[in-house]
Amino acid sequence: MTVFKTYLKILNKNKFLVILYTVILVFFAAFNIENNDNGTNFVAEKPDILIVNQDEDNDITSHFIQYIEKNSTVKKVKETEEAHNDALFYRDVNYIIYIPKNFGNDFLEGKNPKLEIKSTGDYQASLAEILVNRYWNVANIYRNVTEEEEQLLTLINTTLEKDTIVEVTSKLDTESFSKATMFYNFANYSILAGCVFIICFMISSFQEKKVKSRIMVSSMEYRKFNRQLLLSNGLFAFALWLCYVILSIVLVGNVMLTSRGLFLILNSFIFTCSALTLALLIGNLVHNKEAMNGIVNVIALGSSFLCGAFVPTQFLPDFVLKIAHILPSYYYIYNNELIASLEHIDLENLQPIFINMGMLLLFAFIFIVITNIVTKRKNR
Amino acid sequence: MKNIIEVKNLTKEYKNLKAIDDLSFEVHEGEILGLLGPNGSGKSTTINCILSLLKFEKGTIQIFGRPMAPNAYDTKREIGVVFQDVAVFEELTVEENIDYFCGLYVNDKSLRKQYVTDAIELVGLNEFKKFYPKQLSGGLLRRLNIACGIAHKPKLIFLDEPTVAVDPQSRNNILDGIEQLREKGATIIYTTHYMEEVEILCDRVIILDKGKVIASGSPEELKELANMEEKVSVEIETITEKQLEEIKKLKNVDEVHYHNQNLIVIYKKGKNNLITLIDYLGKERVLYDKIYSERPTLNDVFLELTGKELRD
Repeated sequence: MTVFKTYLKILNKNKFLVILYTVILVFFAAFNIENNDNGTNFVAEKPDILIVNQDEDNDITSHFIQYIEKNSTVKKVKETEEAHNDALFYRDVNYIIYIPKNFGNDFLEGKNPKLEIKSTGDYQASLAEILVNRYWNVANIYRNVTEEEEQLLTLINTTLEKDTIVEVTSKLDTESFSKATMFYNFANYSILAGCVFIICFMISSFQEKKVKSRIMVSSMEYRKFNRQLLLSNGLFAFALWLCYVILSIVLVGNVMLTSRGLFLILNSFIFTCSALTLALLIGNLVHNKEAMNGIVNVIALGSSFLCGAFVPTQFLPDFVLKIAHILPSYYYIYNNELIASLEHIDLENLQPIFINMGMLLLFAFIFIVITNIVTKRKNR
Repeated sequence: MKNIIEVKNLTKEYKNLKAIDDLSFEVHEGEILGLLGPNGSGKSTTINCILSLLKFEKGTIQIFGRPMAPNAYDTKREIGVVFQDVAVFEELTVEENIDYFCGLYVNDKSLRKQYVTDAIELVGLNEFKKFYPKQLSGGLLRRLNIACGIAHKPKLIFLDEPTVAVDPQSRNNILDGIEQLREKGATIIYTTHYMEEVEILCDRVIILDKGKVIASGSPEELKELANMEEKVSVEIETITEKQLEEIKKLKNVDEVHYHNQNLIVIYKKGKNNLITLIDYLGKERVLYDKIYSERPTLNDVFLELTGKELRD
């Protein structure tokens, strides 16, 4: 217990940095959760349309204009070509419909008259185009069914007023889970930075050559000392992970207690094990306390940027992602994304997640092997 | 007298260099043994071999009658080591540091608390027990270093140059502390460059050079090995070459030097040497100021035995 108690005392003197990494995590996570726009609430968009009607008073033309007014925002602009072009250029309108003379009558007579169109070509212009095409496609169909204008308008009305109901069958709470995923992606940095800094610092303190000599000449078995130090480092990493799990439950809520949330927690635990072994390796390679901050920045910040902890992986260039494959963080963050999109928990869906977890454990195993080789060489 | 340490035919090699060459010696219970020698003479290597910090090619080492080995934890329990370099945790206070290193030997919490208090008392760090190492002067750090090494009240203590770069007050404090440890029954092995410390503290001295014992005995016995009785220094403003030649012919005179108005006369053996010299100077009407007479030091012994100074 002597080593563990002293470990806690030294940790207490360095608690500021652990708190700092946690505050960074909470700050960024809270900020992103607040500004998260990954929801699934759909709101119909209305394009801005200008209608230039040169047709005389005609029922079907009027009906068409009413339909457009109902489903878009109809703008009024000075009736000159220059004003129309300016309105399009400055995106005051997305779509201009020129209704030529006799358009209504020509349509009813089956002449297939054409509307003149000017468009910004953006997605709102496409929406306007869909509206126009929809109306005249329906009108075309019913024109062949009836010759009476009044009945034609009724039929068009009945058809166009039918709304399509979109039912989301997925039971995923996408919004909450997106927050949880974001939190755990950010935790990549905090877990790595916390583990690497503290564990390296502790190893360099306890294994400092002169202090180590005192331990070597003491009556404490060196293996026992190493076991106590390893256990202390393990407990620290576990406590750090537990602290972040509790924080995630506080910040994100009950979604963390769903099966997918528990998979996120399990994934972060395995990643913490991997981070612990990486920290043990670095701690045995580097004993310079002054270099610790630099190493933390290179390891934690570097892998967080490369593997998509801060920037979603879909925005990262391919070559960056290829490099990221050699880092444990890549598999951890990739797994977070897989868990986020996990709808049915079955073997088929879980297989890639378990493979990534296996990769994390493989990294941990490799780090342990290298640490053993390094330690044995040092002790010769 | 009971032997606490027995080193027999110890040989340690670094590639082609023999750091220790067939070294044998004993350390008796309750004594302070001084290990003297210049840098590279093998003092620290010898201690590291005894403590099993270094492997060696040949020889045997027994401590308390038991063979010493890296896993001889019962033996190690009775040993305290004060290394030359200060080895403490920067993040712990004086008291916490001593408690940690004492805790490597003593599990009982209340006993350890008492031991820590005693160690702080012994090295005079009572006022500084809540200080961190970086707040301490070099001398106070050395005292802390000693306290960390001896807090568990060992029977055998290794002190490797504990007074290097220490102010006079701390040095006196450290030397007093070592005396107290001896009074309490500890056996001490003391390595140093400072002959005066050896002369004050040590019951026996082993002089090492190139990994070999070149002389051993009590400080007085070693001084007997020096081929001189005394060295007389006289401050003289002027003296002629003829007078210097005549002084050289006085009884028992071995060497005469005159440098910077300082006449140095070295006598081989004999008595009443100083009176003879004063008589001669008076007869020749040579004006002199101060006269000093010195007995040979261990450095003189070392110089005679090896042809070089201890601090070379």
